[in-house]
Amino acid sequence: MIAMVDCNSFYASCEQVFRPDLKGRPVAVLSNNDGCIIAKNKEAKALTHIPYRDPLFKIKGLLAQNDVTLFSSNYTLYGDMSDRVMNVLREFSPAVEVYSIDESFVDLSGMTHLDLNAYGHKIKNTIVQHTGIPVGVGIAPTKVLAKLANRISKKVAHLDHVYVIDTEERRIEALNWAETKDIWGLGKKHVERLAHIGVFTAYAFTEVPLAWVRKEMTVVGERLWRELNGESCIPFETLPRKKKAIGTAKSFGKKLDNLPQIEEACAYYISEVSEVLRSQKCCCTQLRVYLTTNYHSTNDVQHADKTIVTLSVPTNDTFILIVEAKKALKRIYKPGFKYKKVGVDLLGLIPEEQVQGNLFMPEATGDKRLIKAFDAINNRYGKSTVSAGLSGTSKSNKEWELIKEERSPRYTTQWDSLLEIGKG
Amino acid sequence: MKTEPQKVKRAVTDYSGNRSVQTGFPSPATHYREPMIDLNKELSSSRDATFFVRVKGDSWKSHNILDKDVLIIDRAQMPKEGKLALVITEEGFDVQRINASKPIELWGMISYIIHKAV
Repeated sequence: MIAMVDCNSFYASCEQVFRPDLKGRPVAVLSNNDGCIIAKNKEAKALTHIPYRDPLFKIKGLLAQNDVTLFSSNYTLYGDMSDRVMNVLREFSPAVEVYSIDESFVDLSGMTHLDLNAYGHKIKNTIVQHTGIPVGVGIAPTKVLAKLANRISKKVAHLDHVYVIDTEERRIEALNWAETKDIWGLGKKHVERLAHIGVFTAYAFTEVPLAWVRKEMTVVGERLWRELNGESCIPFETLPRKKKAIGTAKSFGKKLDNLPQIEEACAYYISEVSEVLRSQKCCCTQLRVYLTTNYHSTNDVQHADKTIVTLSVPTNDTFILIVEAKKALKRIYKPGFKYKKVGVDLLGLIPEEQVQGNLFMPEATGDKRLIKAFDAINNRYGKSTVSAGLSGTSKSNKEWELIKEERSPRYTTQWDSLLEIGKG
Repeated sequence: MKTEPQKVKRAVTDYSGNRSVQTGFPSPATHYREPMIDLNKELSSSRDATFFVRVKGDSWKSHNILDKDVLIIDRAQMPKEGKLALVITEEGFDVQRINASKPIELWGMISYIIHKAV
């Protein structure tokens, strides 16, 4: 059996652990840059008359009227709380597949002697006691069914966030409860296609002949069909798949038109992604840089362009990559536009030891010791303690930097930002 | 006289490599080594359930908790009669002793109070 453990309204829950005064009140978390809302707690979700998809500035008044507390995203805190939750989970099974920041699959095979419903409650209660984060637990023979059980555990009130699909009757009951759009991994197009042939519930989907599914919905559909029918065919993975590319793109705090500022932001993103690259002991063979104006805006003239650079020797050196990115940026930058976003992707990743030099450049230039010291300092004293000169020196000068007006303290990772109690 | 079988204490290995290896005379301490004291292990029962909280003001002076002290909160610890706990009240966080006859909303048990020497 497999358990799918999923944190309830994770980002909002992280904030509420340290703000018990917000219990029972609506809380929403903003995107990087405070542009729009990306997460809500149960109480905020209940305020359905607020068009949450709209940009923040349009709904700010409505949010204030409804007493919604807003937080800028605090990924340092969310990452730490996520690690705590996943570590507690590891006390319950030797095999935990961390699927995302707030979801994990837990392998319960071999635990046949247990009352799984009681075990699910124990998992849930231990996590909330140790970390303050509420979770839901779905237990079933396959991943797709476990995901469905998890969903049911949250939607059906009397289940109290734990649901086990351990009999054929329960499986059919669950499949009849679920609409096709509730099936994990089933895309919108497939949902529409199934609606065309009169299939609306997950149960009806499992009754569709496999031959039709295979033909119309490819191997992906077939896998879902089999999993829902109780046949496990999505393997349990405990190691992340090797990435083929690493990238980042963020909107600027305000629109920028001059090249030096855009270069600064670009250099900063390069140092972020190349650090990830080094931590995975990989080098990239190509670098993609792209630049866009704000396509939401109707009054600005639009321009967007991208370019790919193939490196003469694969590298993960921040300084080399910044130089290359700067050259690339010059090629796609056109003056006179108000840019909103720059993005960098490192492509064609290969393991460090597979890097081959060429005749003219036997190995990548750049000082390995410098970059090692660089990573060591940042690891010890926190992100961006040292950075490449081009990525901006004084904090106040970074006009491209993200706006994080409402960010909560980093309670669990910074000694000078601890939760404070008492009056003084 | 009844003799209890002695429990064999298994040596804890330290693989961290921050012990020096002698090149000349082997250290006479080799077989007596123990890992250094780790405050994370000593002061809380589970790292994942441990939180630190800073105190402002002297509201809890009667519990020997002073301004600027840091409380170590161990959420894995079960409440025990008479022990100090961080609780949630209408007014916000409060420090109280567990009292079975008085229901509380517990945030976590206080395992240690860190007071900076002045």
